[in-house]
Amino acid sequence: MPIYEGIGTITDKLVVVMDIGAAYTKLGFSGEFAPRCIIKSEVLCKESGIMRNIRDYKDKEDLYDLLVDFVHVLYFKYALLSPKDRPVVVVESLLCPTIFRETLAKVLFCHYKVPVLLVVPSHLVCLATLAIDTALVLDIGFSEAIAIPVCHGVPVIHAWQALPLASQAVHDNLRTALATHNTGVTLSDWNLEDVKVRCCFVTPQKRSIEFQKSTPNLTPCPEVKYPLQGSNSIIIPGKVRETMFELFFEEDNDHQCLSTMILDAILKVNVDLRLQLAENIFLVGGTVMTPGFKARLKEELYQQLNNERYSKLKIKTFKFHSPPCKDNYTAWLGGAIYGCTELLSMKGLSRETYLKENRLPDWANMKDNLRTL
Amino acid sequence: MSYIILPDVVHYACTCGILKPISKLYFCRHCLELRCGFCVCHEADSHYCDKCAENLPSSEARLKKNRCGNCFDCPSCHQQLSTRAATVGPKNPDDPKAAPRKVFYLLCLLCRWSSRDVGIPDQAAVSGGWPERENIYAHRLQEIQDMYKAIVLSDKQQKLDKDKKKQRRYMSFTDRTGITASMLRKRIGWPDVPNPLLKAKPTELNNKAIAKEEVEEFPEDLLTSPVNLSLATTMEQRLVQPEWQPTTIDKLFPIHKHLSVKRSQRCRSCEHNVSKPEYNPNSIKFKIQLFAYYHIPEVRIITVEPLRAGKVSELLLKFSNPTQHQTSITLFPYKVDDVIACEDNRTEVISQSSEEKGSGSQPSSITHTSLTRQPSITIKPRPIKTRVVADVVVPNASFVLPPRDDAAEYDDSGDAHNIQNDPKIVVWRKSNKAVIKLQVTPNSDLNIGDEVTTAFTIQHIYINTITTVENKEPQKCEHKVKVFLTLGNLVGGS
Repeated sequence: MPIYEGIGTITDKLVVVMDIGAAYTKLGFSGEFAPRCIIKSEVLCKESGIMRNIRDYKDKEDLYDLLVDFVHVLYFKYALLSPKDRPVVVVESLLCPTIFRETLAKVLFCHYKVPVLLVVPSHLVCLATLAIDTALVLDIGFSEAIAIPVCHGVPVIHAWQALPLASQAVHDNLRTALATHNTGVTLSDWNLEDVKVRCCFVTPQKRSIEFQKSTPNLTPCPEVKYPLQGSNSIIIPGKVRETMFELFFEEDNDHQCLSTMILDAILKVNVDLRLQLAENIFLVGGTVMTPGFKARLKEELYQQLNNERYSKLKIKTFKFHSPPCKDNYTAWLGGAIYGCTELLSMKGLSRETYLKENRLPDWANMKDNLRTL
Repeated sequence: MSYIILPDVVHYACTCGILKPISKLYFCRHCLELRCGFCVCHEADSHYCDKCAENLPSSEARLKKNRCGNCFDCPSCHQQLSTRAATVGPKNPDDPKAAPRKVFYLLCLLCRWSSRDVGIPDQAAVSGGWPERENIYAHRLQEIQDMYKAIVLSDKQQKLDKDKKKQRRYMSFTDRTGITASMLRKRIGWPDVPNPLLKAKPTELNNKAIAKEEVEEFPEDLLTSPVNLSLATTMEQRLVQPEWQPTTIDKLFPIHKHLSVKRSQRCRSCEHNVSKPEYNPNSIKFKIQLFAYYHIPEVRIITVEPLRAGKVSELLLKFSNPTQHQTSITLFPYKVDDVIACEDNRTEVISQSSEEKGSGSQPSSITHTSLTRQPSITIKPRPIKTRVVADVVVPNASFVLPPRDDAAEYDDSGDAHNIQNDPKIVVWRKSNKAVIKLQVTPNSDLNIGDEVTTAFTIQHIYINTITTVENKEPQKCEHKVKVFLTLGNLVGGS
């Protein structure tokens, strides 16, 4: 509705910036320093009346319908503007499934008639919040942890590392742990997240080693009585509170965990950049906000350096960046910084081009990867 | 009126292929097609606060970040906060004549959270002056943002310069011979000019973030102090204030109420509004309301005999004509013919231009580049997936429905319309309504307990009263719509 906006505001267009995560979606406008809202990435299914996460789609058509409903909520409940005539910046992971990004582009261009779309990779843009161009970015979100080194403003994709060690794994771990301590109690996903956020933390390494012994010689932290539905309550033992995040640091059958992901990613990069990456580690994603997480990861990294396979890394120190924002919307903030530059008009995909090509440029597609001299 | 929501048994097939009850459909009078919430274009019309019902122009709403300046939400339970008054002693207690002062604070009537809990000072005015919080990183982020803007701008400038250089008037022989300018310079012994890309760094990244070896230390008190759950905030309480995300309840601050928006709906193919509300947030009326309920004959199920596989059951349907014009209804059997046409998924998106027609006669302000309508995109209708498992024997003859007359509802004197009824079809008739008898045969391969759905196509005469330049007279046209009836479950026995 440009007529009601007055002439002055037409010139500087409001750019919608969205980061649709596996659990939470961050929505806001470019030029602002925090998203307007962080909401769960789920919509009410009209037929069945249940909330469905948009990543739990059956097929392409189902995803299209889910995204149409979800984007409708984003625009008319939160952004409060018509999607027409508004450029959109979408922050997404480099490992985002093709079906998801293609369908999202189709929804935005065909259903909502968005004029320009700029898709930015989350690992790259979150460095914009630090004003640096080389760092190792570890994004721990809801479904997986992804480490991608970014060197001189280029994500080094061949060095990517990904493991399903994120919130969801913690939730599953917590569910089984609480079920053994409180029989007959089924906790909803909401309860699990609430217990995780309000009661659990990452314990220091020396306590973790002690816990692994058959008779731990320490006193666990105090237990919590967690209220559940009126007068009912469950007991969350101190050990559960401390050890729920241990699976991040336990090596699996392939000897991989969060700390090895970082070091493996560094190993795959050119020798000249390894030291620089080790001294520029950047943790993003909601899970890294857990109390004690960063301190523990640092301990684990130094521990791994003694390992045989990392002996050729001549790393002495690890240095970490702290973003000028909360960790769970760092990627969004990077997108918002990109969105207010001229990049949108230079690199953005216009609707006309999309309708002609009927696809989104993708790094995995050889068509977009041809080296142009 | 409960039928408008439930039970949801009569569905109309929208032009886009989605089945919806008639109460959720629009009827575009310009292209004479059914539209639904999925296939119209939604637009945000006017912003308002749903607590104080204040209408905000969209530029002001944008300035206030879509939040109401006066109303607050509780940061704890997200209900509305009320302003409470309290009296405190006068400023100078020694003066006996001084009147006691009134101060105001915010209180949630649901969870009893109050602005005094977190130490916000009471205010002297009702409407506020409540302290606002600033993002502590705002200055730094503004610097970074300006820096990136400058970098990209200079990039763009360089690209433009490069393009300019390419359009040289004279052909350069060095390009032909493979000798570049820098090679030539080296050969003559001149110093090499540095790459222009390296030269023009706009604002050097002097304010890069510096990584630190120290990270947030492990909070040791977590190990010893017991957790008080009522002091730790939930995820909802944190995320409702994305900028601060308080972890303890003593950092909760009142939240400005989020605005709501009135929406108008626009037909995608002809760009006419099918629904437009009035701007005033207090008004629930519409300026334009082209709801299908006012234009398309409504079908309701009266009764249906118990359904048995392969056996004929009698179905009584009530048709009513909502328009001011007499209409004639003909029923056709349902055909699944157009499913094949939709299977070609590759050309789902067709771009069509609706701009040519009539743009010449518009005033110049509307044809301004940013205001003209973009060529609209039509998405091919999706195939209807509902399986029709019962046959309906449709009568060959059509029947007439008189116009709607609100006064006739109270008139028991009988019908004034002299309509010859075919007693085989029409069993009952009053004013604009008629009950039709049909024969339904569920498929013989159905099992007991299966849901029986049947469908047919209605063709009705629609009088289009919209006058255009070419024809001033109301237009008579035939409109077809597919109706799906969920009749219930199959029963056994005889």
